[in-house]
This record gives sequence, C-alpha cells and structure tokens, in this order.
Amino acid sequence: MSSPNDIRPSSLRRDGDGLRIEWADGPSTFVTWRVLRSNCPCASCIEDRSKPPNPFRVLTAQEAAAGPPTPVAMKSVGHYAYQITWNDGHSTGIYTVHALRTLSTIT
Amino acid sequence: MPPPMQAPQNKIALPGVKHVIAVASGKGGVGKSTVAANLAVALHMYGQRVGLMDADIYGPSVPIMFGLGLVDQTRTPFPVEQYGLKLMSMGFLVDPNQAVIWRGPKVAQAVGSFLAQINWGELDFLIIDLPPGTGDAQLTLSQQAPLTGAIIVTTPQEVAIIDARKGVRMFEEVRVPILGIVENMSYFLDEAGKKTALFGTGGGARLAAEAGVPFLGELPIDPRVGACGDAGEPIVRKYPDSPVGLAFIQLAQRLVNDMLAKPQVSALPEVDL
Repeated sequence: MSSPNDIRPSSLRRDGDGLRIEWADGPSTFVTWRVLRSNCPCASCIEDRSKPPNPFRVLTAQEAAAGPPTPVAMKSVGHYAYQITWNDGHSTGIYTVHALRTLSTIT
Repeated sequence: MPPPMQAPQNKIALPGVKHVIAVASGKGGVGKSTVAANLAVALHMYGQRVGLMDADIYGPSVPIMFGLGLVDQTRTPFPVEQYGLKLMSMGFLVDPNQAVIWRGPKVAQAVGSFLAQINWGELDFLIIDLPPGTGDAQLTLSQQAPLTGAIIVTTPQEVAIIDARKGVRMFEEVRVPILGIVENMSYFLDEAGKKTALFGTGGGARLAAEAGVPFLGELPIDPRVGACGDAGEPIVRKYPDSPVGLAFIQLAQRLVNDMLAKPQVSALPEVDL
C-alpha cells in the first residue's frame, strides 16, 4: 500500500472553474477553485476560519473587484506542494500534494 | 503540524551541482557539523568535487574546523577554498565574538543567498550543514533548494533520538528523501580495543528501522575528533587511518555508491493554467 507521501501528480491543468489533476497512481480528480480558495492552508486563513463568521465584514476593494476566485499563478514548492497566487492578491497558501488529493474528488 | 506556513521565494537552480545533501538533526550537540565537515573532506579524498555550505547562521562552525576565520569580504572571492573544498559560512562574514541576532525571515534570506549568490561551480556534492531543529533554515532549503536528500545525525541515547525523529518527520513531510541515519558518539574505543558505550546502544539503528531508512553506521568517540576540529583540520584528513577516520571514509564511499544507484527525485510537474 502506498503511503500519503508516495502520492504524486503526473499533470495538473485548468479545467473550467477548477483544477484537474491526473495522479501517477491512476485516478483523475477535480476540485473547484472556490473549494481551494476557501480551504487556503495559510496561517491567517486558518485563523479566520476558526472565528465565527462576521456578517458585517466588508470586502476589500481588491476582493470586490476580483470576482470568483481564480488563480493567476500556481507554482510547485520543493517536492511536496504548490503555491497558488489568487486574483484577490492572496498568495501565502501552500497546498501540499496530499491536501490537493484530499480536497479533490475522483471524477 | 503541517510545514507550509511561509511563502517560499524563488526556486534556486544549481545546474553545476550533481548532488545536494543536507546534514541535519533534530537536536543540537550531536556532532552534526563534525559529521558534515568530515564527510565533505572524506568525499573529496574519495575523488569527488565537494562544497560545504554552513547553514547554521547563528552558530557557524565551518571556519574554525577548517582553520579559517573572518575574511575581508572586499578581497576574498566566495566560496572560500581550503583542503580542496569550496566553503561558505556566516563565520566568514561576522566576527566570532559578535552574535547574529536575527529573526527567522532574515535567516531564510541568508541561507537562500548562500545557495543562489555564491558561485559553487561544478561540484559532485554540495554538503549543507544545517542548524539543529526544524525551523526557517530547514524549511527554506526544502522549498527552494534542489535537495537530493538528507542525512540525519543522532547520538544513541533516547533524548537525542526523540529530536532526531522530528527531523525525520520534517523531511518526510516535505518529501526530501532521507538517505540514512548516522549514529555519532556510539562508543569509546580504548587502546586495548574494548568498546564502551557511554550513551547507550542501538538508538540510531532503531530510529532507522522505525523510519524505514538505511542505517549508515556508527562513529566512535575519539578525543582527537574535537581536537582536530579546534585545530582546523578535520580528523579524517589528519588521521585517516584512525577508527573514526576510516568510518568517515566508509560513509563517503557508501554515499557515492548510493548516489550512483539511487534514482533522482524528479520535480513536481508544472501547472497548465
């Protein structure tokens, strides 16, 4: 049985409103950008998610102008992760390969 | 705890360097710098072109181990050469009596600069002597450097093993292959050839078995190891026929053979956006 650290993508590409990943061990998975953005693993987003939702939160001008979450860049980090730069300017989230596999669904 | 909490800077390419090996441990004081220095010299004695990068920004020890010290930055080309090795260390830049009082991001920046801005040229091995722990220097290297693998140094006792285990876990998390565990200070060998295990036995081998990685061997205690380091000539160069010297040469031979046999870890595929 392969360990989580053996899981490896063989290709990643934009597919409509999300990310299509072909995995070296066979499956093809898909995850929307919205799911990836709302599960950003950076420290500040994790902290924000731990707080009760603020119904009066005002979007920043950049967030308001950005529209639905879309990546403007996605680069590999070492041998273990990808860093996504979003259209709202946020870029500190580093998604491990394991997280991408967990967040995406086999289609 | 997952490691990726810090945005990486640009990746660093070292096209002239065949293998980049990090020498690490969870715990300080296990002889990591001694192992890194002697391994680097032993690899050179084995005919390899070798560089040694001291990534311990707060406590650099490469200069003293190689009989060097603070250099005139305006006149000295980096890396500094000694005993046929190319060397870089914070100890060449900062007076040994002066403390480097920096926060983490500055450390990461210095480590990145040592890798990217130093002309390492053509090397078979670049050995990186890491500071203890699982912090900024380790994370920077894991994210930016083309690491071939890591060697974990420990001593036999449990108090060292529990920290070495954390080092193993960190490299597993960031998918840097662990080339093996080296157990330092395994036993004292007296003149009659009797071994006395001062810090217990078998800790390194147990950790290797537990992690499923190779056990690269035991290094005996020899007072000359420290004396040679302080005198600026690593023991493997000064006393190559001593039990410790031979152990380092065996370690170097094994590393060279392992690198020949081991497939390189390929980079993650780029994303087609």
